Amino acid sequence: MLKRLAYLALCACAPLQAAPLLDDARLQQLANDRYWISLGHYETAKLGGWRSYVDDPRFFLDADGAHHPDRELKATLKALYAPASLGEKHAQCVFPARTRWLREQLQLNDLPTLACKDYTQWFKDVSPHSAVMIFPAAYLNSPSSMFGHTLLRIDQADVQSDNTALLSYAVNFGAYIEGNDNSILYAWKGLMGGYPGLFALVPYQEKLAEYRSLENRDLWEYRLNLTPAETGRMVEHIWELKQIQFDYFFFDENCSYRLLELLQVARPSLDLTSQFPLTAIPTDTVKAVKQAGLVERTDYRPSRERELLERAAPLDKAEEQQVLALSADTARLNSAEFTTLPKARQALVQDAAYRLERYRANGQERDPARTQRSFELLRAINRNPPPPLQIERPGLPEEGHESRTWQLGAGTREDRAFAEYGLRMAYHDLNDNAYGFPLGAQIEILQLKVRQYENNDWQVQRLDLATIRSLTPRNELLQPLSWQVTGGLERVLGKHDDEVLVSHVNGGAGGTWQLADEMLGFALGTVRAEHNNDFAEFISPAAGFNTGVLWRNGLGNLTLEAKGDYFTNGEIRRSLSLNQQWELSRSLGLRLSAKREFSQLASAQNEVMLELKWYHY
Amino acid sequence: MKRILLGTLFTAVSINAMAQAPGGPDCGWGNMLFEGQRGTPAHFLASTTNGTSGNATFGMTSGTNGCSTNASLTYGGKSWFAMNGMMNELSEDMAQGQGEALTTYAVVLGVAPEDRAHFAAVTHQHFQEIFKTANVTAEDVHSNTLAVLKTDARLAKYATPA
Repeated sequence: MLKRLAYLALCACAPLQAAPLLDDARLQQLANDRYWISLGHYETAKLGGWRSYVDDPRFFLDADGAHHPDRELKATLKALYAPASLGEKHAQCVFPARTRWLREQLQLNDLPTLACKDYTQWFKDVSPHSAVMIFPAAYLNSPSSMFGHTLLRIDQADVQSDNTALLSYAVNFGAYIEGNDNSILYAWKGLMGGYPGLFALVPYQEKLAEYRSLENRDLWEYRLNLTPAETGRMVEHIWELKQIQFDYFFFDENCSYRLLELLQVARPSLDLTSQFPLTAIPTDTVKAVKQAGLVERTDYRPSRERELLERAAPLDKAEEQQVLALSADTARLNSAEFTTLPKARQALVQDAAYRLERYRANGQERDPARTQRSFELLRAINRNPPPPLQIERPGLPEEGHESRTWQLGAGTREDRAFAEYGLRMAYHDLNDNAYGFPLGAQIEILQLKVRQYENNDWQVQRLDLATIRSLTPRNELLQPLSWQVTGGLERVLGKHDDEVLVSHVNGGAGGTWQLADEMLGFALGTVRAEHNNDFAEFISPAAGFNTGVLWRNGLGNLTLEAKGDYFTNGEIRRSLSLNQQWELSRSLGLRLSAKREFSQLASAQNEVMLELKWYHY
Repeated sequence: MKRILLGTLFTAVSINAMAQAPGGPDCGWGNMLFEGQRGTPAHFLASTTNGTSGNATFGMTSGTNGCSTNASLTYGGKSWFAMNGMMNELSEDMAQGQGEALTTYAVVLGVAPEDRAHFAAVTHQHFQEIFKTANVTAEDVHSNTLAVLKTDARLAKYATPA
């Protein structure tokens, strides 16, 4: 009791108290603590020492704080004892996570007392209790979205019992785009780190609208088993990152990496970021979070487009026509064709028509006529509601094959045998093991294939910078465009029956149709620009076609394709190819490829190859 | 004028916000049903770089839909503004008589768990009174809902602000 009184007396004169003197060893020990390193977003710099990912002087109290965790710690400690008259600008209010941690580590019981009204109010608004990791999955017509994005949702205590996730906040890390950079500049700067990255706290429903409606992406929600205390610690730190600029690079220092850092702040025993020294692809980070045992439950929210397609799936051709008619003119609700349908079918048709109208309104300004149509359809739905949509959950994206792929092939080209060695940095092609991926989407980044012919004759077979194909089926209701782009180096048939290495870019657009349940047919018109030493001109343009079928069968995916390129210089290059994947396991696949190539410059050649694909990491 | 001044229910708290939209300059309160969504013109690129093309969402906003919660426009403990961005979902759910947005609406209005199913049934039944026209605003929907609740013996208690 006496002790406590004495202690209280000490506290009473605390305003004059200075920061405790730390001996150097203790300071270094604290500064190298993983938690302090996490709070400062430090990484070991390339040339030794430390470097913070934060690129913002406001985040550091010491001028050299970005490179010296120890100096930053010293400066923080001093700032915590600054006069309370600083109010909201006081380090205790700006850095609540640092404050709490240092207070615990050093038993700082004599800190000046501050109300920190802004922070306290904000924390109360958020009322963190639990956290959910959100992963918007790939959208077929935007294969680039395959890289995905991850964000965190912070739930209040009653969100699960009340089912009010729509009221939660989401923590989003993204590039901050100022002004009106055009698209190309935008992509370039995004990739090269030209934009600063910022954390934002936004209503979750806004993010839902963005992903489910605007971008038509399914959402996966991974409920994390963080305790309320852990979640609170994380949110505490998020306050410190308010308006703080980070470096932002698409491949590594991206949203997913930052979220892993936050999770480490929540639960210091986690070690997630060290698994991603080079790239942090969102699906991979989801896997890492799952492997760390953080995921308690997984929920799925289908995109608005998927809901529309599922609603329309049981309709026959005539009913589909009714959907189109109703969505164009709601007076047709009273037409004989519609009213003679059984009531349950009417419910489906008008609900599909409503969804189609809303789908079309996507990203558009509010249009009075469309609004009125939507409203009339809603009223009809109200009178005759359809049964709730039951949408089957697709394969978990994080259980799909890994991103990086090693390839080992053996084959013959005409009468020459070869071995082929390949590495692809990311991600998925039309034939790859299909679980967790949408059928008809391909995105490959950086693929190198090297061939070794008989007599130890080595050659670069191909180097793809990027290959993107998006084959989305068209139907009565939706008519998406299918497209593809690719660029890099590849071998083509040339003079003297030799394979010439050419550099090229090409792209195409066309349509895809659902031929059967698991079969797509596609036809695209293509254009190509090629630099080929066999040609007189520096760049040779060509136009052509690319058509084929993609069939998901019991073994794996099969593609059968025909391609043609008609060059302005007279060369006509065509090929027929067949690829069948045999899915051995999640991370192994065997592929049989057969190809016949035709050229004006050489006689036709055949090639057959059997290739083992190891989806490694 | 898109942003409608608040009705009598909120006058006490919105008095100092007469000059601008209640809740702050970026607040979307008063959204009409089927309000156009922000488009992503460069969809492909946007998802490539994980950027967001709408800047309004950047920076910390402690409010909902860009609305500051300083005025504490809450109802049943939750900010009513939150419903503003869910107008479409709410109209769909109410038309069908079930759904997440409708549940959320009940919670925001302070409807006790045991009354929520009844709330869903009643609002479904009176959908056409609550969503009277295609041009209703969030505020209209709110006041129409309260009017409907008042007529129901079990739900009337939720129609008067606590």
